[in-house]
Amino acid sequence: MTAIVEVSDLTKRFGSLAAVDDVSFVVREHAITGLLGRNGAGKTTLMQLITGQEFVTAGAIRLFGQPPLENAAVLSRTCFIKESQTYPDGFKGEHVLRVASWVFPHWDSELARDLVAEFRVPLDRRMKKMSRGQASAIGVVVGIASRAELTIFDEPYAGLDAVARQAFYDRLLADYAEHPRTIIMSTHLIDEVSDLLEHVLVIDEGRLIIDAAAEDLRGSATTVSGRQADVEHFARGRDVLQTDTVGAFASVTVSGLTPAERAAAAAAGLEVGPVSLQQLVIGRTRGSARQEVAS
Amino acid sequence: MTVVALPAAVPAPPLSRRVWNAIRLHAANPWPTLITPWLVFAGVFGLNLAIWYIVTIAAGGSQNLDADAFDYNGGVTWVLVFLLVMAVQAMSLTFRFALGLGMTRRDYYLGTVAYLVLLAAMYAAGIAVLAQVERLTDGWGLGGRFFAPWFLADLPAWQLWYLNAAVGLLMAMIGVAAAAVWVRWRATGLYVFFFLAALLLIGAAWLMGVTESWAPLGRYLSTHEPALIVTWTLPVSALCAGVGYLLLRRATPRA
Repeated sequence: MTAIVEVSDLTKRFGSLAAVDDVSFVVREHAITGLLGRNGAGKTTLMQLITGQEFVTAGAIRLFGQPPLENAAVLSRTCFIKESQTYPDGFKGEHVLRVASWVFPHWDSELARDLVAEFRVPLDRRMKKMSRGQASAIGVVVGIASRAELTIFDEPYAGLDAVARQAFYDRLLADYAEHPRTIIMSTHLIDEVSDLLEHVLVIDEGRLIIDAAAEDLRGSATTVSGRQADVEHFARGRDVLQTDTVGAFASVTVSGLTPAERAAAAAAGLEVGPVSLQQLVIGRTRGSARQEVAS
Repeated sequence: MTVVALPAAVPAPPLSRRVWNAIRLHAANPWPTLITPWLVFAGVFGLNLAIWYIVTIAAGGSQNLDADAFDYNGGVTWVLVFLLVMAVQAMSLTFRFALGLGMTRRDYYLGTVAYLVLLAAMYAAGIAVLAQVERLTDGWGLGGRFFAPWFLADLPAWQLWYLNAAVGLLMAMIGVAAAAVWVRWRATGLYVFFFLAALLLIGAAWLMGVTESWAPLGRYLSTHEPALIVTWTLPVSALCAGVGYLLLRRATPRA
């Protein structure tokens, strides 16, 4: 495989806080990789390090085989769309698209026009006056139409409604199929994107806790549900990721069941089902706090 | 882990193109740096014209006014100061956007400085041209001196251009250095920056005093060509630009 992003032993400290803590992974070419984790887990910092916007404390990053910091050869092949992007005062949507068309070598202005129509972006409106959703839509248009070999989305959908978000996923996937590229998508709306993802990275408190193919990950845990007493009996001594109880009914998510164990559970009158990516990530990153609410 | 292959290396777009992109970034929205300043400039000039006209009528005709009545004017300095403001604004507003688009700090900075050099040259050229019109129309028919007031009135056009371009450039480069401080350290940095700048100025004035250099400086200024004197601003401008780069090199686009 070809590695577009290689991160080795990467650490970024802000004072005593390790926002990214000794992380190593590889993002392979022409795949959609999900970077998942809770707010404050270090996702944005990690992406800013990858794109040379932040300075590394320790470790190394390679983009297209080269260090990204101040490296026009690799940064010009990269497009980083982040929710927190600010725009110059007085810039209208059309100004943003104009500059993007100069900067990205593979920019497709026809596609951009098409996406603008689909997302109903008012190009003659100042970025400051746009709603969150409209500003996000501009970012999404730039991200897709840039056709950058490495495209990174950092929660690009703030303020977009469900219809617009679905349009984003559909358009991204359609254009990705025609023009394969490497995409990293940071999100906490995991269920929405789980079908898109080919590879999953989960980061929690700065540490990488999951680095797996999405397919393997889905098979790595199972939801077992039924009468509470039966479920508790079955779950005893196993690695329980999550437990939900409703009245006398309970369901647990357990990792690593063999086919024989599944059969045994089914024979005991329990219902055995696949686990969603979202449940899995919640189970692994829950800690003491509750699941975050998508913005 | 599987064997990792390296992707094919693609050369970066040429430096000229990258810097040109950074220049164009500043002009993508032409209003703040290319249109609004001229409009304000036109407004200031219009007010001056009106005042000259009113004064002339009140005096009962220009023959009743002193010959140098309208010779002194500071309207042009507005543009020079505004170049500082433009530099600060342009950089503080576009830095995060430029990095978000994958520009390197270096390319962005080169383009920004180049754009400000062009702005200083452009505004100085406009002033020089309008000064010629002023001369040909005998001060807009009222004996007024706006674009080339005072001792500038008789300077050759190229010298007038050079004078305004050099001073404008100095202003812009001071602005760039200040903006780099802002981008790097925000408000705290600016407090320290201006405190140190004030300290430097007062220190220099004190040094001039104890070495009894004020009189020789006055002699130098009054006996040399203005064009020669303003050439001294060029190394200072270059120094400011260099300091700005050193600061920006380690800046991050944080929210």
